[in-house]
This record gives sequence, C-alpha cells and structure tokens, in this order.
Amino acid sequence: MKRRIIGLLGLALSASLIASACGSDSGSSTDTAVSNDTVATPGTDAGTPTTGGTIHILSQLEQITHLDPQRNYTGSDLAFVGSTMQRALTSYAYAPGSDGSKLVADLATDTGTPTEGGKVWSFTLRDGATYEDGSAVTCADIAYGVSRVFATDIIVDGPTYAITYLDIPKDADDNSEYPGPYTAKADQQALFDKAVACSEDGKTITFTLSRVVSDFNYTTTLLAFSPVPKAKDTGEKYDMAPVSSGPYKIKSYEPGKSLVLVRNENWSKASDPIRNAYADSFVYEFALDPAVIDERLIADAGDDQYAVSDGGLQPENLQTVFDDERFKDRRQDDYDPYVSFTAFNAKTVSCVEVRRAVYLGLDREALRTAGGGPYTGDFADGFIKPALAYDYAPNKMPEGLNADGTPNVEAAKAALAEAKTKCPDVYAKATGEGLKFFHPDTPTWQKNISIWIESLKAVGIVIKPTAVEPSKYYPTVQSDETDYDIARGAWGPDWPNASTMIPELFLTTGGFNLTRNGDDPAYKQFETDTKAALAELDRSAQGTKWKALNQFLVDQLWSLPGTFLKAQDLWGSKVGNAYRWSSSGSFLFGELYVKQ
Amino acid sequence: MSNTDLATREPQVFGAVESKSPGRLAWERFRRDRVAVIASFVVLFFVCIALLAPLVCKALGINPLTLDRKALNDYGLPNGPFGAISRKHLLGVEPGTGRDILARLIYGARVSLLVGFVSTLLTTVIGVVLGIVAGYRRGKIDSIISRFTDLTLAFPSLLLIIALTRPFTQRLESFGVPEGNPARLTYIVLVLSLFGWVYVARIVRGQTLALREREFVEAARASGAGHWHMVFKELLPNIWAPIIVIVSLSLPGYVAVESTLSFLGVGLLPPDASWGVMLGDSVKYYRADPAYLFVPGVALIVLVLAFNVMGDGLRDALDPKSDRQQLG
Repeated sequence: MKRRIIGLLGLALSASLIASACGSDSGSSTDTAVSNDTVATPGTDAGTPTTGGTIHILSQLEQITHLDPQRNYTGSDLAFVGSTMQRALTSYAYAPGSDGSKLVADLATDTGTPTEGGKVWSFTLRDGATYEDGSAVTCADIAYGVSRVFATDIIVDGPTYAITYLDIPKDADDNSEYPGPYTAKADQQALFDKAVACSEDGKTITFTLSRVVSDFNYTTTLLAFSPVPKAKDTGEKYDMAPVSSGPYKIKSYEPGKSLVLVRNENWSKASDPIRNAYADSFVYEFALDPAVIDERLIADAGDDQYAVSDGGLQPENLQTVFDDERFKDRRQDDYDPYVSFTAFNAKTVSCVEVRRAVYLGLDREALRTAGGGPYTGDFADGFIKPALAYDYAPNKMPEGLNADGTPNVEAAKAALAEAKTKCPDVYAKATGEGLKFFHPDTPTWQKNISIWIESLKAVGIVIKPTAVEPSKYYPTVQSDETDYDIARGAWGPDWPNASTMIPELFLTTGGFNLTRNGDDPAYKQFETDTKAALAELDRSAQGTKWKALNQFLVDQLWSLPGTFLKAQDLWGSKVGNAYRWSSSGSFLFGELYVKQ
Repeated sequence: MSNTDLATREPQVFGAVESKSPGRLAWERFRRDRVAVIASFVVLFFVCIALLAPLVCKALGINPLTLDRKALNDYGLPNGPFGAISRKHLLGVEPGTGRDILARLIYGARVSLLVGFVSTLLTTVIGVVLGIVAGYRRGKIDSIISRFTDLTLAFPSLLLIIALTRPFTQRLESFGVPEGNPARLTYIVLVLSLFGWVYVARIVRGQTLALREREFVEAARASGAGHWHMVFKELLPNIWAPIIVIVSLSLPGYVAVESTLSFLGVGLLPPDASWGVMLGDSVKYYRADPAYLFVPGVALIVLVLAFNVMGDGLRDALDPKSDRQQLG
C-alpha cells in the first residue's frame, strides 16, 4: 500500500518522507486463513474500555485522501475508514501485536472457501448487516462495489487487484474488456457478472479468478471489496459522501477543516463481530501544522487529552518525548510495514556500476541521523522486511558496503572507475552534467538532498536536485514524461506476502514501479521468475522464490534499499486502545476509546 | 517637505559662515549622528563578510556544506548545549546534518544582500525613469503611467510571488537561466522589482511635479533646452536626496522579503543557505534546539535595523528640515 506525501505549498508540512508507516505484518499469519469470529481484545492498556466521549484525530492532511472505499489505498486511511464506516468481506483482527495480522471474517461469516485449488473463492454473507439508512447490505452491493474498480477513469488511486485477478478477458493492451458499471454494455456487464456471481438466495458471493490466488481472502480485506448500494452511487462524488455500513456515519465533512463522525444507529453489534465502537463520535481535524500537532499532544490540555495524530511525531521532537518519563504511558516506537527506497531510472542510469557507486558512496548514516537516528529505522538489506518471515532472508550486500551506513569512498570510486570503461556514457553523465534527483519539497528532504549532494561529491558523482511540490510528488514521478534519474518512495505490503511488494515495485505492470526497468537486459529473466513466484501455490516454496528475487534486486540495484522504517507516536493521556495496528501501521482509529 | 531647496538656497542659509557644498554639509551632519555611523559600520561589516565569504570561512576553518555527524547525538540533534557551540563550531551546528551555522550564516548573507542590492537597483532605475517622465511630461503620459502604478499597487504581490514561483522559474530555466538557484534568485529579483518600482516612481513623480514649476527649470526651458537636458541636467540632480533615502530604506525591506520567501519555501533551494531558509528550518526546533532559531533571527534583525538606522541618518543629513535634532 502507498504511503502518502503530505505538504502544502512547500510550507513546513514535513511528512518525514524518509520514514513511512504501515504495520509490521507478522509472518505468523499464514496462507491458510484463520477461520473464526474472534472478537478483538482490548489493547495494551490496563483497564476496561468504556463507551462514550469524543476522540479527536489531528492531521496535517487537507482531507482524507479517499473516503470512497474503492479508492482508498493508504495505510492510515484504510484503518480509519475500515474501522468506522466501511466493512469488507474479511478483515484483520482488531488486536495489538502480531495478532493484528490474523485474518477474520467481517461481512462474510467465514474467511472464504477456495475451490479448484484457489481459483474460485466463495464467501457466505452474514445476516443483519445494514447501511446507515437501515437497508440491508446485499450480495449485489458487494459485487457492485467490486465492479466500480474497473471504472479506471473515475475510480482512480485505489488498488486494482480485482482487475488483475478476476477472470474477465483482457484486450491486447492488457486492459480489461469490462469498463466498469457506468459505461458497460450488457454483454460487457455479463463478463463481470460471470466472474463475480451471487447465489440465488443472495447468501453467497463467488469470485472466479483467472489463475490460482492462494491468499485471495487477504485481498478481500481491502476496502475495494466493500459494498456500495448502486442506487446511492454518485461516481466521482461518492468520495465525499459514501454510504456507511459501519458503526459510524458522517455528520459533517469540510475538507481543509474537519470530518465529524457520529454513531450509525442502524449498525448493530450483533451483525459485526470485530468492531466495538466505544467512542460516541470522532472529530478529524485537518490542515494542522505538524509542529502544532506535536505541541498540542505534548501539552495534553483540554480536548487534546482525547487526541491522537495520524502522522506520527516529527523527528525534532523525538528527544523531548523519548527522554522524558512523563510521556512513558502515552508514546510508542516501533516498526511499521514500510520500506523506503531510492529508485533509479534504469533507462538513463543503465549502468549497474554507477548505481553501485552511488550506493557505496552515499552517507546513509547521515540520512538516518537526519531522520531521527535509530528512530528512523534500520538499514534495509532489500525490499522485504524481516516481519514477512516467509519471504525474508538476509541478503548478500554489494562488496564494500559499510554495515554502519557510513560511505565507503574507496569502494565507490573503484565501482565508478569500472563504470568508466564499461559504460562511458552513463559515467560521463553521472560525473559531468549530473544525475537529476526529484525529491519532495519538504524540510526533511531539503536536508536529505543536501546529504546526497555532499556525500556523493566526495566520490565524484554529481547530484542535481529538483524539488517537487509534495502533493504532486508521486503523480510527477509516476508520469512517463518526467525525466528524472533518481526518485524516492516507500512501500508496504498489502497483506503478508511479498507478492504485494516485489511485483508492485519492479514489474512494469506494477502499481509503484519508479525504475523504468522494462528495457533493462536483466528484466526478461526477472519478469519470468516473478511470474513463476506469483503462480507458486506452495507458500514456503513461494517464499524461497521471493528470497531469491530479493537478492536479485539487491544485485541489480534498480532501486537502492533505504530503511526498514519505524514510526513514533504520542497520544493524549485519556485515549485508550492506542496501539499500532500491524496491518496498517497506524492506530486502529475506530477502536480508540475515552478513558474515564 | 521639499528638500530640493537644498541646492538652490544653499548660499542664503549656510553660505554666510563658510562656503560648503551641499554634499559636504550632508556628510558633516551625518557624521554627527553617532547611531547612524555605528549602523553604517555594521552594514559595512556585513557587506564585507558577504563579499569575502569564502576567505572568511577558510580562515575560520568552516564550510557551509560539510556534514559533521560527530556534533550530533543519536536523535540527530546538536550534541551539546546551545546548539553544540564549540571551538570548531562557533555558533553551533544545524540539527540533522551537523553543518556549521556560522558558515551558513556568512554564505546566507551573500544571498540576502545580493537580492537586496539588485532588487533595489532595479526598482530605483525603473521607478526614477517612470517617475520623472510622468512628472515632467504630465498630461496623457502621466495619467497612463499613474494608472499603471495604481494597478501594480493593487496586485496582491506576495500571494502572486508565492503562487507563480514554480511555473515562472521553469520558464526562466527554459530561457537559458541556469537551473536551480540562479533561476530562483532571478525570479525573486524580477518580481520584487516588478512590484517594487511603484513606490519609487510615486515619490519621484511628486518631486518632479513640484520641481518643474521652479524658476531655474523655467529658465532652462525658456533658453530652449531639450527634454534630455531638462531631465538629466535640471531635474535629476535635484531629486537625488529623496532617491538616496528611498534606496537606503527599501534595501532592508528586500532583504527581509527574501528571507520571508525562503522561509515560505519559495526561495533558495538546498543545499545552499540563506537566512530565510535557516529561519524556516529552525522554527521547528524551537523546543529542541532554541539556539538554532536565535542565531539567524538575531542576524536578520541586526542587519535590517542597521540599514534602517543608516537610512534614517541619511535622510536627516540630506534633508535638514526634517532633522529630529533641530525639531527636537
């Protein structure tokens, strides 16, 4: 899943962009679903959760990126919207620690039944689930919700696994023949209805996939598999006022100001085994300066005692919070699911020796210090976090790479000398006119880019920075027209399988491939191996394949592994259940309660 | 106020004692204003430091770009009191990177003063030319220039400057201005000049209007002097004093505006330093590292104050009628 970039007109809205957040998916959750209706246990706090009160969420965002379930794809938003307003077929358990990556049923009564070896998945629907207007959630609504994903001109930014997986024919350009519900002709709609079918009694929904997907029931935790009543669908505008199927509904929503949620009286606990809905209401306060958010949480006065932030602590305040025992009951510091990386444009930096020289000569230790030292996270040795236990093995790093992150100028110069003979063009570019580095124009990155420039100067590599307005950063670097040589990003798995990491980051069809590696001589082999890994049914054999691919990526260095990121939070003294939900890397907002 | 009297009445007012040129008189009055003299030395000091930045930094053994991990603790904050002030880093180090604050301050002064001086020069030239033309020609030309002045004044300039930074720097780059900071600085100077000349033009126009009815101008006109002669030999020499005053007072304004823009993130790009960039960055650290906020802030206050005091001193010297000591 994506990590958002936050920023306003280049003002000091420092999303700690080197750091990212989403949750250390424990590898303990496996390919076989845990099929039960476990009610989540309260968090790490002693004491019993109490109902009532208002929880405040302080945010530097202008608005929730997407409230529309089919368009929601950022970790923190998925947790917020999923726990308050949108139910999906399955979910992760609402629990702290590694229990939070266990699969549980939500709108379904079980976590799905695979047939034909995992090519057909059916889910039995739960009785009694209703929308905020009291009408029942039907199988047709879920199918309709999924069909919206195919309207890629309107329903943008969301995960597209439905298009990838469902058994609907694709045209020559790999686009689905089904254009989504808004423009589909009857024969096209029939294609979809064949792939996503409701039983006669409306109790069972069946997905027919184009190939075996052994963990499809993890895919269905994404809110892209949430119901949308067809009569209420307003297309693009649905983003501002979606119909709630969860315990809360929208009372008022003013982007740039606030979002207020109140109880949905038509939600019944009996129909919802996972949500507890302790608080009476939620107030999401937007467009706050991150420094102000930290200051309010540190001061802990008035309503801020009931406040959390959706963005974590700023690096400059870590010492204040973590060196002071006053805060010991309301702070946390742990890993989130994101890995940060720096991607090369493999078309223009088509020389692995130059890429290696950059890696060896870069002062990664200084970058880490600028982000808050050890609080930034650990130096990544690949693109898979150790928390993905099935798929992770330590990689053999390039020779000469200092484990402590300090630059190895000698080794970098040697690699560069190699490049001089092997690929004189790229060598000349890197040492002459310079490599164009597109970075978000945030205070954090203004420092990071200085470290890049200064540390690579010692090797003889020239970095030419281009600052991009933060809110436009990802659209800019994901556009084919942008002529960057280097860009940065962070990515976390959508569920505990490297199939949501490696293909997304490095296949040309992936959702977040910044490396433009399609023409690289090594790409063909990589593509073949990745597709083989995706098709592998045996989970541990698949893990072995991911491990090999992870090592391959470290050898190729289309992208430099950055940091296995950590995140730090501080919350108000009267907030209960404040824990990092491992599947999103954020708070599980809907489960927060007001301590009496 | 009409300091144009200075040149013409000089023999009657001051000539009785000893024959002194108006410039000499102004200089003597300025010299007596001790605060203004001190302020000029401060300004001179900053200008010298900015001009000689590489030499000064070399002599002190510091560099604005060199990273120093050892000066930082594990949180990435300065490893010691007052921003880790030490013999090596006389004003401490920048949090996150460990770069020397003094060196960045010295190099930052270059940017601030460069923007200040160039913008002032451009606004003055444009303002004086348009102001004199409007005041001297009057009639249609005057109303065109004056309406244009009003129009420019009505623009919400700061908002425009911020909003147009990115598209316009890109345009400049496509015109061949070197990418990055040269383009940014060119943009800042251009827009500051574009919006700044009106203040000069208004004052100069007013002065010219008063002046053109005076006897010596009439005399020149009667003897058949051309426009060129009228403007450059008769009018301009007599409005230098107010122009010098405007210049000395608007320069610190531009220094402050450059800092503001950099503070707002539309000024200088990293890794180069400017005072505004430093201030913008340091605000975040007011709790963790207050010394970092203090240093560029004080530098900016001192420089702007020095310029303003010097400007006041100049005005008093060039325009004895408004001299506070005499009025006082």
